[in-house]
Amino acid sequence: MTAVEEETFVTDTPTALAEPGEQDPTAAAPGAGAMIVFESVSKTYDPHVVALEAASFVIEKGEFVFLVGPSGSGKSTMIRLLLKELEPTTGRIIIGGRDLGRLPHRKVPQLRRNIGCVFQDFKLLSDRTTSENVAYALKVQGESRNSIRRKVPEVLGLVGLTHKGNSYPDELSGGEQQRVSIARAFVNHPPLLVCDEPTGNLDPDTSVGIMQLLYRINRSGTTILMATHDREMVDKMRRRVIALEDGRIARDERRGGYASE
Amino acid sequence: MLSEAVRSIGANLSTTVAATMTVLIGMFLLGLVIAFATYARSWSDDVKAGLVVKVFHDRDATPQQVNAVRVLLERDPRVDKERIEFISAEEGLRQMRRQRPDIFSNDLPYNPLGPAWTVYPTQAEDVEEIAAAVGTGTKASPYPAGVHNVTYGKEKAKRILRVANIINAIFGIAVLVLLSAAAILIANTIRLSIFARRREIEVMKLVGATNWFVRGPFMLEGLICGLVGSLLAVILLFVSKEAALPSLLPRLTSDPDVQALGFWLISLILLGLGLLLGAAGSGLTLRRFLRV
Repeated sequence: MTAVEEETFVTDTPTALAEPGEQDPTAAAPGAGAMIVFESVSKTYDPHVVALEAASFVIEKGEFVFLVGPSGSGKSTMIRLLLKELEPTTGRIIIGGRDLGRLPHRKVPQLRRNIGCVFQDFKLLSDRTTSENVAYALKVQGESRNSIRRKVPEVLGLVGLTHKGNSYPDELSGGEQQRVSIARAFVNHPPLLVCDEPTGNLDPDTSVGIMQLLYRINRSGTTILMATHDREMVDKMRRRVIALEDGRIARDERRGGYASE
Repeated sequence: MLSEAVRSIGANLSTTVAATMTVLIGMFLLGLVIAFATYARSWSDDVKAGLVVKVFHDRDATPQQVNAVRVLLERDPRVDKERIEFISAEEGLRQMRRQRPDIFSNDLPYNPLGPAWTVYPTQAEDVEEIAAAVGTGTKASPYPAGVHNVTYGKEKAKRILRVANIINAIFGIAVLVLLSAAAILIANTIRLSIFARRREIEVMKLVGATNWFVRGPFMLEGLICGLVGSLLAVILLFVSKEAALPSLLPRLTSDPDVQALGFWLISLILLGLGLLLGAAGSGLTLRRFLRV
């Protein structure tokens, strides 16, 4: 993935798409646009299971957003909609200025290369070493061997696993495995990182390390959307919180806590 | 992508071996079937080539009557124009003396035979119609003047044609069944290996692999299974040919016109079909189980 390709994908969103009231002062600069726009998006699984109902919000470039809510409230559905694994029943989703509803099927891989994904269960390949797991993301995208050799140690350094490059996933602790999966998600420097309960399987101390890593990544300009159950973390970080309840957006606070105050 | 395919074959050795063995068995049997089928066809063609229509003239048939029959035969589109043979009464007697010396002894007072025609059909199946066109000897369709009999080896012809058709049909069905069994088994094996690697596929899609990058290794795996399986089958066929034919040969007809399809041609057919099976088997499964 070259910087040029990234830029062609993440074009600037026309400001008309973002509701003026929602805009962050830092993101209002000319040329800056929304990273994610949900326009009254609903998703109904057949026949009557409503996973998401009329969800509307705008996430600006460079924001760090927590997505909270009990299990079954629609968090995972939202993430799968972002990756175009699912199609919304109604409504419009725009990512980096692209309307996903109009994105042809063959362009979906291109979309996913611009969205780093981190999951609760890491999704590492157990028969490959740390380096190979990270390199895999690049290989899949047809990156040259030279650039793989350059980028992999770089990103392993960022997540603090330089010395574990030749270890297999089952030789790593849970926190280390999650760092590998973050390294894989971030090796291309995607403009958007989506995390689905990245600390769900980790003890509190390890979670703090992961959150610090994600925070560092966010400060480098990457937008982060993180679904989580980690009440303590959300309360400590004081970032924007979008709370879902039964598929509806119950709360959207700029510097919120896990529960409404 | 090649390295990914080799890696995945190594990681799923047992299913890959199973698929290859399936192709091997299918192709080996198919090779045998092709060899026997072409041999049987060649034999039945050879026998069919012996099917002729014979038109016998009266002893006192006039040259005009003989000529009229020739014109009649030459006009029939089912008759092979190059092979309308006239057998004079003298020639007929010579032939009969050779075939039945007990009846046609040298001391016959006179030649009991008239002139005759031997007519070869372009299609063996047409003998009956050609004979009927000349005449069946019934009131509705009498023989032409100067003709007293038309034969085409009625019973023999019918039996030969029936046997030949049955042989062709059986071999055709056997080949079809074997081919579809092999394709289904390859498809099944690919499905197993997709199932075994669903986690890897999930990760591939997640990090933005193009559809071809996901499919490629599986398709290559199918092709390699097909190719290696059929290659092994060719080797096995060659070995069994070398081992079995010398003891089998004396029992078969020695007519050089009766031949099975050449071994190398069969090998080529098997290799081509193996590749096709691999491609079809994996293509089929990928479409159904790998919505990428």
